[in-house]
This record gives sequence, C-alpha cells and structure tokens, in this order.
Amino acid sequence: MIKKISLFVVFLAVILSMTASAAVTTLVLDGSTTVGPIAKTFAAYFTKKYGVRVNVSESGSGNGAKSLINGSCTIATMSRAMKAAEIAAARQKGVNPVATVVALDGLAMVVHPANPVRSLTKAQISSIYCGTITNWRDVGGPNARIVVLQRESNSGTEESFKELVIGKGVQITGSAETQSSNGSVKSRVSSTLSAIGFLGHGFVDGSVKVIAVNGVFPTVATVKNGTYPVSRPLYFYTNGQPAGLVKQFVDLPNSADGKRMITELGFINR
Amino acid sequence: MNIGTRKILDRSFTAVGIGSIIVMAVALMIVVVPIITNGIGAVFFTGTVEHRKMLFSEFKRGDSEKLSSEVASSDRYRAKVYGMLTDFEAELETMAPEKKVEYKAKYAEVRAALQALFGPLPGDPEPMLTRFKYGQTRWEKAEEKLHDLLYETKWDNSNPDVMAKEYFVSRAIGFQGTSLVKLFPYVKDNMEKLLLPEFTFYWGFITDSSVDSHFFGGIWPEIQGTFFLAVGAMLFAFPLGVVAAVYFTEYARPGFLNSMLRSANSTLAGVPSIVFGMFGLAFFINTLKVSESKSVIAGALTLAIMILPTIIRAAEEAILAVPKTYREASLSLGSSKWNTIATVILPAALPGIITGGIISLGRAAGETAPIIFTAAVSVGSAIGLADVLTSPTPALSWNIYNLASEHEAAAQIRHVQYGMVLALVSIVLMLNLSAIVLRARISKKLKG
Repeated sequence: MIKKISLFVVFLAVILSMTASAAVTTLVLDGSTTVGPIAKTFAAYFTKKYGVRVNVSESGSGNGAKSLINGSCTIATMSRAMKAAEIAAARQKGVNPVATVVALDGLAMVVHPANPVRSLTKAQISSIYCGTITNWRDVGGPNARIVVLQRESNSGTEESFKELVIGKGVQITGSAETQSSNGSVKSRVSSTLSAIGFLGHGFVDGSVKVIAVNGVFPTVATVKNGTYPVSRPLYFYTNGQPAGLVKQFVDLPNSADGKRMITELGFINR
Repeated sequence: MNIGTRKILDRSFTAVGIGSIIVMAVALMIVVVPIITNGIGAVFFTGTVEHRKMLFSEFKRGDSEKLSSEVASSDRYRAKVYGMLTDFEAELETMAPEKKVEYKAKYAEVRAALQALFGPLPGDPEPMLTRFKYGQTRWEKAEEKLHDLLYETKWDNSNPDVMAKEYFVSRAIGFQGTSLVKLFPYVKDNMEKLLLPEFTFYWGFITDSSVDSHFFGGIWPEIQGTFFLAVGAMLFAFPLGVVAAVYFTEYARPGFLNSMLRSANSTLAGVPSIVFGMFGLAFFINTLKVSESKSVIAGALTLAIMILPTIIRAAEEAILAVPKTYREASLSLGSSKWNTIATVILPAALPGIITGGIISLGRAAGETAPIIFTAAVSVGSAIGLADVLTSPTPALSWNIYNLASEHEAAAQIRHVQYGMVLALVSIVLMLNLSAIVLRARISKKLKG
C-alpha cells in the first residue's frame, strides 16, 4: 500500500515537473471591487479577442496598490488615486506607478426605497456620517434612527467618499457599520429601512433608492460635466508606461467596444 | 447513593444524550435541506427558449432545427408585442407635447421591462455584454420580471412619521386610452407561448465555464480549482505530516525541544486561517517567490501548512494506537527499527492516518481565507495541470463569497451561488465517504 502511494506521489511529481516549463502570457489584475465589473468584463472580452488569459481579483483598492508595489499584479485597479506614501513605497521597490483613467464614477448615496427623503446636502451627509445627525427626522424624514454604512479602510470608495464629502481627517462616527464591498452595502441598504450608504454608480439597481446630493442626481451628464459633487475617476495603475499587451488592455476604454461595455455596466465614459 | 436516584440519573443522562443528538440532526437538516433544494435548482429548472438560445450560441449545444422552430413559434407571438410597440410609438408622435413627455417616461419603463423578459427589442443595438443579449433564461425569474412589467412599485408617503409602504399599481391603468393598453393582458396570457418554458436538465452547470462573470454557464473552473488546491495541499502536507508523526512517536526523546515542537504544532492548529493566508502571501509569494503573483502552488502550500498540524496529530494517534506487541514481535525477529516502522507500524496505522488526511483534505477544499491572497481570483478560465505553478484559479469557496457579497448583480444570480454551495458540500462529502470506504478496505485487508 505504501509503495502504491509513494509511486503515485512520484508519478504526480514527475508530471508536475514535466509540465512546469509551459508558461503562458497572463495579465493579472487586482484591486478595487468597484472597478471589478469593468475589469471582469474587459478580461472576458480580451481573452476572447486576443487569446490572452486575464485573471481578476477584487480585494480592494489598497490591496491593488500593494500588489502592484510587490510586483504580484500587472495592473492595479483602483477607485482612488494612489497616495503619496504608496507612490513612495513603490519608488523604493523600483516600481513606477502610472495611472490611466478607465471611467468616471458617481458615488451614489443610497437609501431604502421606502425612505421618503429625496435629497440631502453635502453638509447634511457629512453630519450624518460624523454622528451629529442621528435621526431621519432631522433631515426631513420620518422618526427613525439612521443606520450609517461605511466601507472598510482598504476600500478606495471609502477614501473617495471621505475626501469628497466629509473632508480629510474628519472621523466617521463609531456607530457606523462597516461593509466589505459595494454588493454588501447594497444588500444591507435594501433590507434595512433606515440605512444610508454609498455605492459605485454601476452597482445601483431597483432595490435601493438614489438620493440627490445638493439637489443633483448622479447621471451620465451630471457626472461627466462635474455638477454632481461626488464623482471620481476610476484607474488602472501599471508599472511604468504600459506597453504591448498591457497597453492594449488599458487602452480598451478608448475603443468603441470598451466604451459601450462601460456604459452597459452603468459607469460613465471619460 | 440509593438505586432509585441512580436510575433517575441514568435515565436523565440518556435523555440528554438523545436530546443532543436530535438537536444536532435538526440543525443538520436545517442547514442541508435548503442547500440541496436550492442547489439542485442550478441544474434542474424550468428553462425558457432564451436558455436554449444562449446554450446554442455560447456553447454550440442543442438541436438547431428544433431550436429554430421554437424560436420561430415564439417570434410569431413576440412579433405581435413588438407590433404594439411600434403602433404606440406612432401614436406617441401624434400626442400633445406635455402628454408625450409624460407617456415617454412611462413607455421607457415598459421597454426596459420587456427587454428584461425577451432580450433586446427590434431596433435596439446588439448589446456588448452577454447578460443583455438574452431575455430571462429561467421561468421563475421570468415570472418576477412579468410582475415588473404588469405592475409599477410605488411607495405610500402619506404618513410622514413612518417609512413609506410599498404598493403596486397596474401599468395598464397608466396607459388607459392608448393602444399600448392591450399589451399587458396579451403578454400575461401568452407568457408560455412567448418564452416556451420546458423542464431543463442543465448538466453543463458542472462542466461549462462561466459566461459574463457567472450570469450564464457553469462552474467547472471553480470545481477544478478547488480540486487542484485541495489535492496540491495534500501532496505537500501528507508526506510531511506522516514523517513528522513518525519522528514524534518513534525518534524524538522527551525533553525541552520535543515539548516545544509539540506545543508549536498544537498552536499551529489553533491559528485562524486568515493568518495563514497573510503568511502565505508574505512568505511564499513575496519572500520565496514561488510564483510571480497568486498561483495554485502558493495556495496549495498555504493550505498545506494549515492542515499540517491536523495530519500530524491524526498520524501520531494512529501510530500510538498500534499494539506494542506488533513492534516487539518485529524487533524480536531481528528487524531493524526503520524496517519495523516501514513494514509493521505504518501499515497497521494506515487507516487512521488516511482518515486524518482525508478529513484535512475536506477542510482544505472548503477554506476561503488562506486562498484569498494566495490563489483565488474572481474570474479566470479553467487552468490545465501545466499552469498550476504560475496561474491563480477560481475556487468554489472563494467564489461563493464573491457571488454572495461582491458581485454587482448578486441578487440576480443566486441560483449559481446555491449551485456552487451544493457542489462544494458534495465534494467534501464525497471525500469523506471515500475516506470511510478506503479505511474499511484497508482494515479488512490488515485483519486478513
């Protein structure tokens, strides 16, 4: 029996070592869950068109940056710009991060469809997130405690929200619930009457209600012309100027097909 | 203690025992029954003609003659629907401007609901995303979308002190007096002829790759990835674990170093799996650089370290359980120590060792945290054996999590998620069953 097993192990080891040399060109994408749908769709399109394998992971913008710095991904997908500290860390490791804007995203403030509140000002949102407003009554809604949803510290969406709405360095209230992805914010909001959260534009569907910020709803037009106050670009980060296959991939948003894919996914073309 | 109390104690102990077994069985049923009933729905369901269209154009599967006759028959009914749309569009042009604006917005919602049911309408550009190329492929989803077409969801805000209440308004009423009003009863009455539902056994769910990030197609890359990771982990952990157990039981002298090693092993068993994940990323990928980025080999090594303590402990116990007389008989026949271990002790301990190994294999197949940073991707094609050293892979455990929380349309593709859960549970169950069978066979052989 032991002989049989050890023979089997040796046999497998031989097969593994024989096939180890067969390398395939692969693009590895890691990072933002917001850019995830775009990355996954582009990957499928790219694989079909050029026969190149593309692997996509969605572990958060922060992890995307780390992966690029460690050289473990080809393209970091990020829903915020790289921070100075990250760029410095990259330089130290000899990585030169270059950003390409993929698409624009209006960060939609969402509530449960049952919530009668239609619009909030930036100041109101930031008071809600800082914990000074804790009841919907104070912003024209019914008497209900506000369930505040935020994203984890690794999230680019969280960083953009802080930067664009409540201002850098301001603490979000300790009673805010932390969700790990756009999808989980959406499902929490759609199942909680008094919740408020923020989502990438492509994640919005009928199960949640988008409210206007300063009276402006996030639409293609308002995000593009900058009247919607909470919009931000989404990025592909590469090590050095993209070339070859990587360039073909990051140039997809400029192609007609790429633009249509971005629109159909609910994001906004640059 | 008198005999009466003893009897009562005895009975109550029996009752508690039976009670706890019943609680366990109920808990198991509560977990397993929905997994099976929901999971089966991914493979057996009522599929519409859209599903067969999708299979034919994405996977080249199905009878083209039968399909084209089906498409023709459903198109006859659809043509009427589309005819009503063109009629209404013409009517829209003749309306007064303010009325036109009002109806246009409502009409756009109707069109969207129809697109969800039947796929792109005539005059729509061909969508880039496969998810928009077809209508509803599953009958139960089509019925939900039919409801969306027939009724508009509204929210009753009459009481400002409480959250609004949901209510439905028939869309047909909104189009009273226009030609479109006929469309709603027509679609409702002819749903079956429009979509041709039919019982479907979609075995491709197991063997196909996913199309458009799990909207259509199957989960083969995930199943294969899970298999590679679990077996890969086993290849590293099993030999190492057995050797370590032999060392602990046969060679190690009791002492400081030995007790340190043992407690290190026990501590390792209690480390949370996410820590192994981070360790795998830091050690195997960033330091040892076993691969450029995430790869099956890095994931397998991480899982191997995670299951190693369990294997060592199981093997140790199995070796210690071998009767001393075996060893003494072997040594008294003049056999060397190594020879005794290899020919007498290990074969006798094999059933126990293998059981421990296979239970660990099941654990390796089901773990998510260690592979998040080392091996798993949300979308990737099925990989060959040749790619395990360089490529990451989708894997069931991670993709279940991904579909449950991160996917942009998680609510629309629940059935895929359920199917994955059932597949994972079945794989682990089969591994455990094979352990039992193997163990029984070996024990029988040993007894002669």
